[in-house]
Order: sequence, then C-alpha cells, then structure tokens
Amino acid sequence: MKVFISAGRRRLALNAAAAVMAGSMLAACGGGASSQNNGVAAADPAAGKDATGSINICGGKDASGIYKGTAEAFTKAHGKVMAKYTEIGATTDEARTQAVQRLEGKSDECDIFLTDVIWTSEFASQGWLVDQSKLVEANKDHLIPSTVETTKYEDKYWASPFFTNAGLIYYQKDKVAKPETWQQLYAEAAKAPGNSFVYQGKQYEGLTVNFLEMLYSAGGEVLDSNGEVKIDSPQTREVLDFMVKGLKDGSADRAVLTYNEDPARLAYESGNDGYQRNWPHVYRLLNETKLKGTFGVAPLPTWEGGKASGVLGGWNLAISAHSKNQAGAVAFIDFATTPEWQKHVAMDFSQAPVNEAAYSDAAVVAKMPFAKELLASVKGAKPRPISPVYPQISQAIYKNVYAVLSGTASTEDAVKSMAEEITAAKKSF
Amino acid sequence: MSTLTTQRPTTADPATRRRAPKRRLRGEAKLHPLAWVFVVAVMGFSLIPFYWLVNTSLKKGASLSKGELFPGEPSFGNYLAVFQNAEFLVALRNSVIIAVVTTTVALVFASCAAYALARLKMRRKAMILTLILSVTTFPAIAIAAPMFSIWREIGLYDTLLGLIIPKLTFALPLAIYMLTSFFKEIPRELEESAYMDGASPFTAFRKVILPLAVPGLATAAILVFISVWNEFLLAVTLTTSPEARPVPVAIAFFSGTSEFDQPLGTISAASVIITVPLVILVLLCQKRIVSGMTAGAVKG
Amino acid sequence: MSIKSLSPGRGVSTRDRAERRLAVRMTAPSLILMALVAAVPIGYAVWLSLNQYSVRTAGLSRFVGLENYTTALASPDWWAAFGQTFLFAGLSVSLELVLGTAMALLLNLAFKGRALLRTVVLLPYAIITVVSAITWQTMFQPNLGLVTNVLSALGLPGGDVVWLGEHGYAMAVIVLADVWKTTPFAALIILAGLQVIPAETYEAAELDGAGKWQTFLHITLPLLRPAIVLAAIFRTMDALRVFDLPFVLTRGANGTESMSMLAYTQLRENRLVGEGSALSILTFLTVMVVSVIYIRFAGGNIRDVAKEEQ
Repeated sequence: MKVFISAGRRRLALNAAAAVMAGSMLAACGGGASSQNNGVAAADPAAGKDATGSINICGGKDASGIYKGTAEAFTKAHGKVMAKYTEIGATTDEARTQAVQRLEGKSDECDIFLTDVIWTSEFASQGWLVDQSKLVEANKDHLIPSTVETTKYEDKYWASPFFTNAGLIYYQKDKVAKPETWQQLYAEAAKAPGNSFVYQGKQYEGLTVNFLEMLYSAGGEVLDSNGEVKIDSPQTREVLDFMVKGLKDGSADRAVLTYNEDPARLAYESGNDGYQRNWPHVYRLLNETKLKGTFGVAPLPTWEGGKASGVLGGWNLAISAHSKNQAGAVAFIDFATTPEWQKHVAMDFSQAPVNEAAYSDAAVVAKMPFAKELLASVKGAKPRPISPVYPQISQAIYKNVYAVLSGTASTEDAVKSMAEEITAAKKSF
Repeated sequence: MSTLTTQRPTTADPATRRRAPKRRLRGEAKLHPLAWVFVVAVMGFSLIPFYWLVNTSLKKGASLSKGELFPGEPSFGNYLAVFQNAEFLVALRNSVIIAVVTTTVALVFASCAAYALARLKMRRKAMILTLILSVTTFPAIAIAAPMFSIWREIGLYDTLLGLIIPKLTFALPLAIYMLTSFFKEIPRELEESAYMDGASPFTAFRKVILPLAVPGLATAAILVFISVWNEFLLAVTLTTSPEARPVPVAIAFFSGTSEFDQPLGTISAASVIITVPLVILVLLCQKRIVSGMTAGAVKG
Repeated sequence: MSIKSLSPGRGVSTRDRAERRLAVRMTAPSLILMALVAAVPIGYAVWLSLNQYSVRTAGLSRFVGLENYTTALASPDWWAAFGQTFLFAGLSVSLELVLGTAMALLLNLAFKGRALLRTVVLLPYAIITVVSAITWQTMFQPNLGLVTNVLSALGLPGGDVVWLGEHGYAMAVIVLADVWKTTPFAALIILAGLQVIPAETYEAAELDGAGKWQTFLHITLPLLRPAIVLAAIFRTMDALRVFDLPFVLTRGANGTESMSMLAYTQLRENRLVGEGSALSILTFLTVMVVSVIYIRFAGGNIRDVAKEEQ
C-alpha cells in the first residue's frame, strides 16, 4: 500500500526542489508545441491471439459492475492476458479530465480508456488513440451500425462500441396511452396534471440529448455530413416552440428545468406524472416502487409527419496511443464485443448490447422485457454531432435551449445564437 | 496556562494572575429572553438542513421519492452499507491521518510565522503578507493539472504525503493570517517582563505568547482541520487508488446501480457519519475556544 | 504603540540583528513550502494563459501574449459572471458577517447549554460542500423537498415555485446554502477576536453607565474590527471563487454562473487551456484586488502589520 512514499522514493522527495523544477519543464513540454509527429498506430485485428502480459482499463465509476466483471471474465477466458479495471473518475466529467491528463502526459498507465461516445472525435483528433479501423471492419458484422457510427472520425474508426444506450419513454398505463408521436404524448400529458411528462431539462448535457431526440425525429440536424452547421432551420424552431408550448399548457411541469436523470426519476416515482423520458436503468428501479406493474416502456415516439429517432449514449473502448500492450488491448476488445459476451452485458449488468442478436436471446428478454423497444430506440438513434469541439457545440445547444424554455430568450434569438456559437466553436484554433 | 488570563497587567505579578479565575467564577449568566429566541433561531437554521440530511440517510429505495418529512419506515440500511464498505473505512482512516498531520504541522508553521510577522522586526512584511494571501487565492482548478504531472514525476502521486503537502500549503495562509491578527492583539507587556527575566524572543513566544493564544490556536485548529477534511479538488486530482483516497473522494465514488443514479441515501449516511469526528473535535476544543478571560463579562 | 519604545536597555543593534534572524527562521518553513508547492504550478498557469493551444490538432500551440485576456475581457459572458459572482459574494458575505457576529456574541456567553450550541452551530461547516449542495437541492425540489412541502402545507407563498428554475430564486437558494454552511466560519473567527478584548474595557463602560447596545456599538464592535475584517477577507475570497454550489444546483443557469465556473468550462470541458488559464488568472487578480482593498481600507491589524516596514 502506497500510504506514505516508499523509502526508495524518499530521496527523490528530499530533492523535491530540483525535481519540482524538472517536473515543470516536463509538464511544459507536454503541454506545449510538441516536436513529436503523431504517426498514428493502427490496431492489428490478428494481434489479439498471441497477446500476453497485462492490460489496464481506465474509466469512470463502475456502477453496474460491468467493467470489473468483463475484465475478470476476459482474464479467465483468455488465459494469457491479465486485465484489470481502474476507476479514474467518479463522474463522467471527472473521468474525462483524468483521461485527458493521462493522455496529455503521455502516460502508459492505461491501455484502454472507456470513452463516452461523445469523446471519440476529440481524443482521435489529438492523436491520443490507436486507429481501430481494421479491427472494427473485422467485427462489423456483429455490431449494430448506429453504435459503430459513434466511433467514426474523419473516415476512420477510433474505438469499438462496448455497450450502448438510448432513451425510452416510461408511461402509466392506467392514466395515459402508449406514445406513438411526440404530439400525441404532449396532448395526452396536458389533459390532467397527473399525466404530465418529465424529462431532463436542466442546463447540462442531458438537455442537449433530450432536445436532439426531438430535433432528429423532426428531421432537423446540427451538422450535416460535410460538417456544415445546419441548426438554423425551421425544424429547430418548430421543436423549440413545441417544447415551450408544452411547458405553458402543462404537458410538462416547469420543474423539469431543474431535473437531470435522477430527480426526473424520483419525481416520476412519486406517481404524479404520466410520462417519463429516461434511460433503461430506470426500469429496474421503478419495479422496486409502488409503480411496479402499472407502467409500460416504449421506444421514443416519432415526430408527426417525421420519423422515430433518438440519440445514442453508451461507452466505447479506445486503445491509448501510449499503451505498451496494444495486442492485449485488441484481445480484450475482441472478447468484449463478441455476441456471446454481449448477452452477458445485458443479462449480468443490465446494459444495452451492441450486438443485435443479443436482444432476442431468451435469457436477455427474461431480464430485460423491454429489449425489443430498446433495440428499436438504439437502431433508430443517431450519434450526437461528431466534432473535436463537441463540448462547445453541446454548450451552445443546451444553454440556448434552456434560455428559450425558461423564457429568457425568444426562439428566434436562441436559434441565431446557437448557430453563431456552433460556427465559432468549429472555427476555433 | 489558563491562569495567565489578565489582559492588561502593568506587571506580571502573581497577584494579578490570580485575579482572573475569580472573574470567571461569576458563573453562568441568565440569558435575556430575546437572546433565547435568537439561540433557538440559530439552532433551527443550523439544524433543519442537517435534519433533512439525516432524514434522507434513513430512507432507502422507493421511500426517497415519497417526499416524507419524517422517514415513514426508518432504515439503518444505508449506515450499515457505509460501514460494510471497506473502501470507505480506508478513506476514513486516510482522512483522519491527513487532517491530523496537516493541522498539527500547519499550527506549528503558522504560529512561528505569525509570531515573526506580528512581533519581530522584519523587512518587507507587506510583501510577505501579499504573497501568502496570493497562494490561497489562486484558483485550485488552474493548478490541479500541472500539479498532477509534477506529482507523478516525483513519486508523490496517489500517496497520503502527496495530499498532505499541498493541503498544508493551501491551509497555511488562513492559519498565518488568523494567528498574526490574534498575536497582534496580545499586549506586549507580558513578553517584556519575560525579557526582563532574561528570556530570548523565542522563549517569550513559547512561554508567554503561545499559552495566551490558546483560543486563537484552537480556533485555527478547527478551521484548518475542517477545510482540510472537506477539500475535494486536489484530493480527487492527486489520487487514483482507493488506498489513498480521503473521505470526500470516496463518497463521490459511491455508486447506485447505474451511472445515472445518485445513491442519495448512502451519500447522506456517510456524510452524517463523518461529522462525528468533527463533533468530537469541537467538543474537545470548545472550552479552549473561549478562554474564560471574558466569559461572563458580556452578560445578557 | 511604537516598537522602539519597548526595547529594553540591552545592546540594541545586537538584539535587533538576532531578532531579524529569528524572524527569518520562523517564517522560512512556511514560505519555502509555499514557494516549492505553489510557485511552479502558478507560474505554469501564467505561461499557459499567454499561449493558445489547438483543440483540433495535437501539440499545436502559439504564443499570443495577452490575447486570451483581451478576449475574455471583451466577452459578455465574463462580465455577466463577474456581476453575478459579486452579487453572490456581496449578499452572502454581508449576511455571514452580521449573523456570524451575532452568533459569536452568543457563543461567548456563559449559559447552560453553551457546549451544545457551540457544537450545533458548527455542524453545517463540517458537511462536505458538495453534499451540502445536494442537500439544499433536494430541500427545494418541487413536491418532494422539505421547503416546498412545508411552504405548501402552511399555505405560504413559494411552495409551488420551482426555486432552482427561476431567476432570483435560484440565487436566493445558493446564497442561503452558502450562508448556512459558512456562517460558522465567520462566527469562529469573530469569537476568537472576542477573546482578546480585555474584560476591564467592559467594566469601565459599565461604570460609565453605558447601555448594552452602546457598549456593543462603541466598544465591542471597534475592538472586534480586526477579527471581522479577517473573516471578511477570507469569506470574500472564497465567495468570489464559488464553484460547487452553482455547479451542483443550477449548472450556472438562471443568472448563477460564477467566474470560477466559466474558467472550469473553458479549462476542463472545452480544453481551451490558454483561455481557461487566463480566466483563472483574471479571477485570481479580481480576488486579490478586493482583498488588498479590504486590508487597506477596512483597517484591522493586518494593515498595521503590513505597514511595519523596517
């Protein structure tokens, strides 16, 4: 246990003054213009078979146990490579900060990073990841295409999908009808105060997701396939006006402006609402409350005259460019994405598999009765805008959407500044 | 030490010293009814949110969404879960070590520095004071990343010593300022009489100033201890393994069943539990905070 | 009082020199530690703030001088955050000082149950900031929270307000949460200040027939000044750097984005390291200017120490 520094390191610590200076020079070099040419390594799909040694997988808090569980199962199955999981951040934000600090410092501590689907292009653009194009091509036949899209940046694949996520609608069967379209859901929700719709409307990433789910189904987009900003559109205005009207006519309680995932779930659990937009994990929690047996699960509805769509969540497996055991990392990724293990992803850890067949497996359906609805949501969903400056794009979206919803900005002004801010972000150095 | 309580003796003769305890013995004053109203109001304001925290800590699962003002079916399950969490117990031990060591060293360093600033001849005091203040004013968020790289280079990353050093550094300014201000108010006559007896300035500091400054030292100890105990950003940046994590970080790593659900019950239970060492500290220190030299003087 | 007048009749210059040497020795541990630990990261942050680092291309950076600062100072976001932070700090620190002084006077009294009061009063300060933020968030949660439920039950206004979702109300909750948590800090420092007020002072006032309020106003308060200024400096410094409360409660919505949050967004979320460092340093300079103004103009004995240039 490294409680106090070891004897061998004491001398180092005593020379702290010199070392601190040296460290700062290193840090300065690490952060400054680097002379290193980032010749990106590519992962060899065949490398996994002969891999040996150990690998360290780093990511956020292992709430469902899937990370440690997969590492253990892999170690047992492979026999020659030992995998361990390290929790480097308690929240998604913190995990990203910790990953960035290690990658910027060219640390070889982590061989694989668990990356949120929205980090891929940022990490890839910095030359921090190993190109997984060949590996993904080799595994593509058993991966759901929409989940593979989240790993793409500039025509290459930089990660492999591990498990995915998509929004679902939970509804009270005794009070409201199954949602077919957003318009019908809102109209139904407005009929009585006990029918109202709760979603994630706090000023944060979740609001971007909630807004884009509607925007995508209404046929709108943020960036087109060439990366041009397309947010200034009639669809954006239509969706914003629709959401504002929903807050005014009681379809949604104003309290949603303070909700992220957990408060939304707690509010719904109190039984005062008709619909809830949330992630699949809510299913199990709802079944522990008095609402057990009274609620239904539906995929996200379609936009009237549009289609059903959604936004993908989930986590990918990216190999660090500084990994000393890329073969071991490839072996782990191969294992984690096999159709066989993907069933365990659902059965043992209640996460959404990236393999389509898993959703119709009897054991999975027994554990996740809403597997069919979830698969529909996943297959219809699209990635959030793909860009190395995604955080800035998302801020432009959720801040302006929030301003409209809370009544401090008009739809017109908000759409204009959204477009301006996203354009500026895309131009940033 | 509590006999040295008189503030303005012309000489430090024993007779003067002995006068003080008598004054303290005037005993407990009767509070004005209005003061009682204020006592109740202060207690209420302090306790209501704390009550809510305790209330939450006694709820599990579905009862968290009932909005009950009293837990319908109080459950100690959250407390049990916290105590069964081996990582939390390690974190508790880490926090106690870090806070005790940091507070002790900070008091030694700070009282020395404060005595020099308040009492001794020294050049550039204004500049030193400004520099000290600037250390604690600098946003931790901007230095966390460089500190992370440096700590890894010199092997302090993910160790308790690696947390004690920066926490000590950033706790020192408050302690130095507080003690400087406190020492400054202690009348000089007492030291002077010590000098007359042939004491050196350092002896005067040790034998005269420090005993008189017990209320200031106790207050500084509590403030430093709590700020070190609660500090989060450096702690989360400079540790990675459960073996080195202090309590606030360990609590942040408590998890629900998925990345989206916040385990409110166990977080609350752990937060209630960790106030216990602080309550003990305050109970131990509270008599020292109020020196007794003025107690009863401001009667209601 | 003048220091020279107190010098005893020994060899002045020898003692002088010895005293100066002792002063250096006594401050050295603190100063060296601070220099070693803080100087390098701070210097590094300053360097970062003078450069721009590409968020699109790895390792690309250029020296831009003060451009990051001029960009920040020209942005409405900075000035909005600046105003909001000062509003927050002004409200919370003044409430904390008034309440803290009252609390300190109360804690200083000798009465039955004072040990209990001293402990209870300190409890909020002992709660981890993030947890206290979560507690306040759930207290004000519509339908489920303590405050909203009690207000509704009593038929008082505010029960149906979405506190954290409205301008003004959101700031009120944040101020309240901060006052709750940190008033004990101010109270403790002021309580320590009360300990050095000589009892004779009060006795003299009593003999003069001064009323309690007059005694407080003309005797206690002026003598408490050093402690109050000290509490004000450290509370203001913290309040101007407020982060956890708005981050947890509103994420900066509804007019609650602080200067530190802005720096956090640029540094951490957007990885605009140059801009973010510049924002951090602007925050730092703002806080330093305010602190120095306090020390200079609000008086207190820290100023006296600073003036002792010998």
